Amino acid sequence: MLRELDDEMQSHLEMRIDEFRALGLSEAEAGAEALRRFGDTDEFRAYAARRAARQTRLHGAREWLGELLQDIHFARRQFQKAPGFTLIAVLTLALGIGANTAIFSVVHRLLLAPLPYPNGNRIVMPMQEDARGLRASVDSQVIHAWQARGQSIDMMAGASIGNFDVRADGTVDSLPFALVTSNYLQVLGVQPALGRAFTPEEERSGELVAMIGYELWQRAHGGRDNVLGSTVRFDEKTYTVVGVTPRGLGVPMSQDAPPDIWMPLPKGAGVGTPGVFARLRRGVSAEDASRELQAIAASLPDPGQPGLHVRAMRAQDFLDAREARMVQVLFVAVGALLLIACANVANLLLARAWTRRREFAVRVALGAGRWRLARQVLTESVLLALAGGILGVVVAWQTLRIIIALRPPALEHLADVHIEPAVLLWSAVISVTTGILFGCAPALYAGARTVGEALRSETRTGSAGVVSRWARSALIVLEIAMSLVLLVGAGLLVRSFVELQRMPLGFEPRGLVAVEVILGLPRNRDRRLALRDAIMERLRSVPGVTRIAVGMIPGKGYMGGGLETESDGVGAVTRAQALGTSFISPNYFHVAGIAVLEGHVPDSSASTEAWKTGRMALSPQVVVNRDLARRLWPNGGAIGSRVRTPADPDEKNSVKPWATVVGVVDDIHMPGLRGEARTLQVYSLIHPRLGDVVFLVRTSIPGTAAAPAIHRAITSIDRSLLVRPALSGEVYLHDSLAPTRFAMALLTAFAIIALLLSAAGLYGVIAYSVTQRTREIGVRVALGAEPNAVRRLVMGRALRLAAAGILAGSVAAAASTRVLASLLYGVSPADPLTFSMIALLVATIALLASYVPARRALRIDPIEALRAD
Amino acid sequence: MFSTNLVEGDMPRDTNDLLHGTLDLLVLKAISWQPTHGYGISKWIEQRTQDELQIVDSALYKCLHRLEDRRAIATEWGLSDNNRRAKYYSLTARGRQMLRAETATWQRYVAAVSGVLETA
Repeated sequence: MLRELDDEMQSHLEMRIDEFRALGLSEAEAGAEALRRFGDTDEFRAYAARRAARQTRLHGAREWLGELLQDIHFARRQFQKAPGFTLIAVLTLALGIGANTAIFSVVHRLLLAPLPYPNGNRIVMPMQEDARGLRASVDSQVIHAWQARGQSIDMMAGASIGNFDVRADGTVDSLPFALVTSNYLQVLGVQPALGRAFTPEEERSGELVAMIGYELWQRAHGGRDNVLGSTVRFDEKTYTVVGVTPRGLGVPMSQDAPPDIWMPLPKGAGVGTPGVFARLRRGVSAEDASRELQAIAASLPDPGQPGLHVRAMRAQDFLDAREARMVQVLFVAVGALLLIACANVANLLLARAWTRRREFAVRVALGAGRWRLARQVLTESVLLALAGGILGVVVAWQTLRIIIALRPPALEHLADVHIEPAVLLWSAVISVTTGILFGCAPALYAGARTVGEALRSETRTGSAGVVSRWARSALIVLEIAMSLVLLVGAGLLVRSFVELQRMPLGFEPRGLVAVEVILGLPRNRDRRLALRDAIMERLRSVPGVTRIAVGMIPGKGYMGGGLETESDGVGAVTRAQALGTSFISPNYFHVAGIAVLEGHVPDSSASTEAWKTGRMALSPQVVVNRDLARRLWPNGGAIGSRVRTPADPDEKNSVKPWATVVGVVDDIHMPGLRGEARTLQVYSLIHPRLGDVVFLVRTSIPGTAAAPAIHRAITSIDRSLLVRPALSGEVYLHDSLAPTRFAMALLTAFAIIALLLSAAGLYGVIAYSVTQRTREIGVRVALGAEPNAVRRLVMGRALRLAAAGILAGSVAAAASTRVLASLLYGVSPADPLTFSMIALLVATIALLASYVPARRALRIDPIEALRAD
Repeated sequence: MFSTNLVEGDMPRDTNDLLHGTLDLLVLKAISWQPTHGYGISKWIEQRTQDELQIVDSALYKCLHRLEDRRAIATEWGLSDNNRRAKYYSLTARGRQMLRAETATWQRYVAAVSGVLETA
């Protein structure tokens, strides 16, 4: 480059010098003049060097690109020549990578980044726990101390959620709302989608301003800007909308759908559920924060209830252990699926490398370097992996849609899971690594063989390379073993699901329908009681209805109330948070089918007298469930002990009266029942003035079919009554089985795909070995071998491989199904029935996979076979 | 269209304060008749402008490189009139098209500027 320019300048200068010489200048003068005419030579030389360097670079890149394009072009031709191989390889990889990406997206959402906000991984919820692990609510003075002195946290926000009723045509629907402090969005690190958040002044002065949720904005306002300035009616007050929250904004640690209406948390109001959030300072761990906050709480002059420990809970800590385990199991399962997919493709490539040895030998003979050949094979592998990866993203997208559609109610927040950029990266890394991994073996194989070797082995089509054959057998055994582990896991979950459906629940959900009625308008106590009785009377005449009580479907009581217990009658009080309260009529247990284990159920006459306090307070006599009795009074003696709901800290003289425990009833076992608020229950008689009453109806009509008639019967009494949508026991049971069904469906799907992939792999290996041994089989047939002997020869190898795989898989499964233990019900992780059935299934599939190649072997014509070379 | 950069080089001559585009245009025109070497192009411009324009040689070669990079001209080694080896530049189809377009633009530009000067 530079050299050429030098030549050119040389000739140019000579021509200039000639010109000046012709004008009569001396040689030296002409030279000087020529240089002067040339301009800045130093600058030009530097310029020329830069230009030459750039051109060299361009040239190199062009050459490299050219070779790459050539490789790609060549790979494409190879793929076109073997469309079946290409299709199977790409589809196999797409399934493995796709399932992996989808599940990784779920894991990412649930475990790695459960709060999808910029500050999500720094948000904690400080809680106090007692020695029994029961959570207590945090006092406002403790919160203030943390806010003022906490070094590990840099901001605190409060949020309280609830549902507010929207009434139309005699039915009531509820919109979730949240009351939050003005810094709430700032703490999470998000911006309003439209308008603005509340100001601290608005929070202080109790201004009636609201933000609406993104989803409601889209649904009801079509995403138009004019929503700002519109108004929302809530609790008899009119709020002005000042902003729209960003899409998907919810309240951390709550499992509910994102709130539709957001309002400032009134000053002085105790923060309700879920409570107070803190943002950790950068680099501070939740454990460090727990220690510091504990120290601050302990240093207060009045530390409140003794024995409480502060724990800064992260969102991950709220994930139910079974759900976390379920996600981990699915993650491992898809990992295994990807491995199987890779093994399959590696096997295909190995087989192809062997059939292509003639092509490679010729290319080496024509002067292609080994590196060039290896690169060719590698290019093909990476291209396959990339195609598989791209198709895999499509598979992942579809799989995610299925997962979202099947998600259990407890994983409601999975609705907004999507393919994360991080997950895409993960997918790309997997697909390229896979490409390099399975490209490696054939590449080395192609590279290591010398021309002589390759051409020599060309002359005899005897047995394939021993190492190659060995490697491929090992891959198949591995595939079968991994499939077996997956199948055993899926089989255990299926059996456990069958058992779950037979599990004693502690009540009888079939034929139960619950309807909540809002008696409406301030009415006096007698009017309410009369109305309640009238409804019960009218419901009795609905066809199919056999019994009626007041109370929610078991396990669905009000959540989160605290409870204080009198310890040993000496006046000391311990407090437990998060348990459920159900307001019932005396015949509730009879209608629901819950056994009374100890004591008796209070009757209504015992409660009407002394019962003057609030509607949500406990009746003078209450019933608790067995689990709560055991937790609060581990040494027995529940009957006769006294409990009360905690006083409202912001109201003076609000200490609630004690209630006496008069009965203990059986626990409710629902597959999906999670959290102490569901499993620990206090049953109180319903207060005569409670305006919201749930009627529990037992009918002989299955499902929700009885609901419309019940609804009509109630509104026929008084058109102003508002009725919430009915909930049937069947639907409730179905929903509670959803998490198990979800895990079972996914794992079963993965296991079946894995089995199909392994079967395809086994088929490939056996079919290939038949092709390899065509000549040998031909000789045997020519020498008079029986068809059975030929069949044994072919299928024997398949069965030996399958047996090795089943054996290895059974050992691996026995060692690993223990991780499933917490997901199983009524079946042991080492269930012999499941193990043997799955082994039989795998063996059958292996036989089927080898049957087709065996038939082909039988059709081999000895004369053709011997002439083949 | 015309950049305001001046022709590079340290020759303190007014006539060299040529705009880049102008030099490109002149070079394209110079080789539009027949393939010519760098020195020949320089001489051609001097003769045609009655020595009004003298191009600094380094600037000329940079201009040639620039046009070559834009694939407006092709190069070839040959022998000059007095038997020296020299690199010859000729127009490509693309260069010819560029010459036509730039000529038209130049004429419009000159007409516009003259119009302004006359009315002033």
